[in-house]
Amino acid sequence: MPARQDRCFTKTKKLCPSCTLNTALFNSSDISNILSQSDADKLFPAFIISRLDYCNSLLSGCPKSSVKSLQSFQNATVRKLTGTKKREYISPILDIRNTVGNIPMEWYKDFPHIGYNLDGKKIYKPIRNKDELDDFLDKMENPEYWRTVHDKQTGSDVVLSDDQVELVNRLQRGQFGDVNFNECEPMVEFFSSDVMIHPVTNRPADKRSFIPSLTEKEKVSKLVHAIKMGWIKPRRVEDDGRGRYYNLWASEDSSILARHKMHLPAPKIPLPGHHESYNPPPEYLFTDEERALWEQQDPADRKLPFVPRKYSSLRQVPAFSQFIHERFERCLDLYLCPRQRKMRVNVNPEDLIPQLPKPKDLQPFPTTRSLVYRGHSGLVRSISVSPSGQWLASGSDDGSVRFWEVCSSRCMKTVQVGGAVKSVAWNPNPSVCLLAVVILSSERLLSAQQEGEEPAEGNGSVVWSEAEGEELNQGLRLKIQHPKAVHQVVWHAKGDYLASVMPDNTSHLQVYIHQLSRRRSQNPFSRNKGLVQCISFHPIRPYFFVATQRSIRIYNLVKQEMTKKLQTNSKWISSMAVHPGGDHVICGSYDCKLSWFDLDLSTKPYKMLRHHKKAVRGVAYHRLYPLFASASDDGSVIVCHGTVYNDLLQNPLIVPVKVLRGHVMTHDLGVLDVTFHPTQPWVFSSGADATICLFT
Amino acid sequence: MSQIQARFFTEDKRYVVDDVPFSIPAASEVQDLSNVINKLLEAKNASHSKVDFDFLVRGQFLRTSLSTHMATEGISTEEVVEIEYVERITAPEPEECMMHDDWISSVDADAEWILTGSYDKTARIWSTEGKPAMTVAGHTDVVKDVAWVKREGLTSLLLTASLDQTVLLWEWNSERNKVKARHCCRGHAGSVDTISVDPTGTKVRLERARQKLKRQQRTPLMTLSGHSEAVSSVLWCDSEEVCSASWDHTIRIWDVDTGGMKTTLTGSKVFNCISYSPLCRRLASGSTDRHIRLWDPRTKDGSLVLLSLTSHTGWVTAVKWAPSHAHQLVSGSLDNLVKLWDTRSCKAPLYDLAAHEDKVFCVDWTESGLMLSGGADNKLYTYRYSAQQAEA
Repeated sequence: MPARQDRCFTKTKKLCPSCTLNTALFNSSDISNILSQSDADKLFPAFIISRLDYCNSLLSGCPKSSVKSLQSFQNATVRKLTGTKKREYISPILDIRNTVGNIPMEWYKDFPHIGYNLDGKKIYKPIRNKDELDDFLDKMENPEYWRTVHDKQTGSDVVLSDDQVELVNRLQRGQFGDVNFNECEPMVEFFSSDVMIHPVTNRPADKRSFIPSLTEKEKVSKLVHAIKMGWIKPRRVEDDGRGRYYNLWASEDSSILARHKMHLPAPKIPLPGHHESYNPPPEYLFTDEERALWEQQDPADRKLPFVPRKYSSLRQVPAFSQFIHERFERCLDLYLCPRQRKMRVNVNPEDLIPQLPKPKDLQPFPTTRSLVYRGHSGLVRSISVSPSGQWLASGSDDGSVRFWEVCSSRCMKTVQVGGAVKSVAWNPNPSVCLLAVVILSSERLLSAQQEGEEPAEGNGSVVWSEAEGEELNQGLRLKIQHPKAVHQVVWHAKGDYLASVMPDNTSHLQVYIHQLSRRRSQNPFSRNKGLVQCISFHPIRPYFFVATQRSIRIYNLVKQEMTKKLQTNSKWISSMAVHPGGDHVICGSYDCKLSWFDLDLSTKPYKMLRHHKKAVRGVAYHRLYPLFASASDDGSVIVCHGTVYNDLLQNPLIVPVKVLRGHVMTHDLGVLDVTFHPTQPWVFSSGADATICLFT
Repeated sequence: MSQIQARFFTEDKRYVVDDVPFSIPAASEVQDLSNVINKLLEAKNASHSKVDFDFLVRGQFLRTSLSTHMATEGISTEEVVEIEYVERITAPEPEECMMHDDWISSVDADAEWILTGSYDKTARIWSTEGKPAMTVAGHTDVVKDVAWVKREGLTSLLLTASLDQTVLLWEWNSERNKVKARHCCRGHAGSVDTISVDPTGTKVRLERARQKLKRQQRTPLMTLSGHSEAVSSVLWCDSEEVCSASWDHTIRIWDVDTGGMKTTLTGSKVFNCISYSPLCRRLASGSTDRHIRLWDPRTKDGSLVLLSLTSHTGWVTAVKWAPSHAHQLVSGSLDNLVKLWDTRSCKAPLYDLAAHEDKVFCVDWTESGLMLSGGADNKLYTYRYSAQQAEA
């Protein structure tokens, strides 16, 4: 093989000694003696591929005869290099018959030829009379069709050999074209990570590697000078103002825009305090009392949603059982938070407080406990003051009714009635001295009694019976037996009618109105509207107030229809009082609230007073003074000033003026009933501690 | 400024000192001044025994140091201060305790006998030594007020008013110790709470707990109507005038000849009791707001409070002027205390008499030097007080 190459080289040397390729080949022939076969195989392609273009250009100027021999040589070389056989097609890269160069072949679309050969003769397009049908048939029938490629430069079809197809496949797979190329040859490390004894080079480092570069300094100083002189300008920021972008909302209404701009931050979670610590200071832990209060409270009213606990270490803290609930609450907060910005107005907070008069200016009202009426042995359920203001009657759970002289706290008379006394009421007519008493007798009957100094009494539906014998001597005058337990009795302002309540959820026979002079009773209601809590007569007009658990109904007794229904917004009404003017009602409830209704204003409470800590048991208006009082289980009586104006435009003025304490808490009960003196600004309160207090 | 020029004077002839200014320490208190006077008197009169004095600066009792008193009263310390001194009133001494069966509602005492009304529906007559003499029973209800009408020798007339709407006139012979009901005066439509006998002892004025006052001998002579609420107290100012106090916050003065109202004094609280002193011509009223107020019944504007005496902590239920002293009065209250006051020392009472264990309902004086008080602890206490000063 080397011998043949040498011959070729020699021949070539003769033809074009100046040719660089041949020089290179020639040179290679010089070294071919020392090259092995494999090395030569590597070396020659490298020369040929790198110089092929150049060769082609060289060949262009040669006479045809020499070109032919050169070309054949070239082909032979390539064939040798690529290992193809003599009869096989040579890669188009090396096909140099068409000399038009690398131009779009469309330019020759309208010509019969497709280019020019080396001799300048036209190369004619092969006669292609294949239409689509032939093409299709060819596709179907010719097994070589899939490897047939159309050569644009020559216009002929080329059938690819197996090796070429393999090459294409390899290239398509991203592999090296040469099958024999090993991409994973072991690397020859010229500079290894191993530290050698001897350095690669022993030359000492140059001085210039230690000193700043003068060239760089010169360049920098030139740049600096240019910047100083203004020759170099900073890069221009591209100006967007020309209209590349524009304000989409420029024509929008500014108010809408302002609303959109509003940002509402989510309500913040309060920061955790010492309460939430796993090891809080002892003052943050609940005492038994606080804990009891916490457990008693409604979850919504609790100050803390959890009980602070102390653990000796963080390790012992259990999982927070309320976690899901707490997260839910937070989500609820976020969901329900108002979507409107609160406009903060700079207002002096004191200006916002309504101008309430000072309690000092609202005198007289009761302020101090003056007298204590002692004598009962059970809790005093109900008290009533005679219309003259001289006597006080009280009914107690010890089964007695006592009459007291108001000014001296002397018990003038005790009547044993043989059953817990639920309610007492003094006839408001000053000319008759009658007291209605509700007795819960042991056989669950109930009778209302009335007694007085000239004792007389009455009662009705029921069975009316005159008192006789022993009872007459005790002062009983009249007995009205009811079918069920009566809870309250009230008088009409004229003193001839009295009404009694028998709370019963299932029956419509809950209220009876008795007429004393004719000794008869009637049931005004034919339907059951709920458990009746308390009733009251209107002081002037023929109205009748009935308080059920959650609402107060006002009936017109003449027209026999309901005129109004007041919604109290409380859970369970305990007591009710009607203003002596008749246009206002206060109502106490077991959920600590006192609501004031202005009947002319609305059926909703005009004002809710939440001053009591526990259930409100009794409420009362003063007959003459603008005062009202409420008694509660927390042992206090709260006296409020409540002026009612004749002017319809002016709302009632309600000012709490005094908290009166004097009763001892007994069995968790404080004050059970409250009533005002008919003429003086004094208030009586009866308590579970079996006493009655007079506050003046 | 530690010295004050002071001149001492007195109206008591026994203790007169020279009318010359003395320079006394400003910080000196009552006891120091008293010592000074005693020294002076000893210098004058070797046989003088030590006497405690009280001092009045411009009509006010000295209770603190002299400089403090003058600062609060606004008296100039540059000038000579006139200081009056009087013998100190000694504390009333408890004498007797008369037990009753029930609460004592009223007491009336004269020089010899004490008449008490009680809640056990009786009136009782006691000697001033505390011996029970007689029980007058006849009412069907609580006796609210009692009064002596007149005494002729051994026979006395007395009145009892009761809740049973009647007033009974009794005749009592102290020798035979017999009591006889002479008349039953009816006419009230409510309980009779208070009665009063006019100075000549012939007419009786009754009062009832409701709006009318009635003046009676046997049948009502006259009804004085005007009060809108219970009348709590009546008294005769003199033989022509009747004064009544009511729960309607007014004190009214009536002319008995015409039956018309002369003056109305309006207070702000319920009046429980009034008392009139002919010596100083003042009305004292006790009311439910714990104050004792002094009124001048002769003023026409009608609402002038001359002075308020405040120390009680409960309703003032009884007040009585001293019969022989123009400045002293005694008051009883629901706070179980009886207090002795001097109007010249209005800040604090002279003495607190804390004998009662329950509410005090009535107090009285006798001219013989006894103070009486009764109340809800069923006890009537008598106290001896020094009644020697009658200089007014």
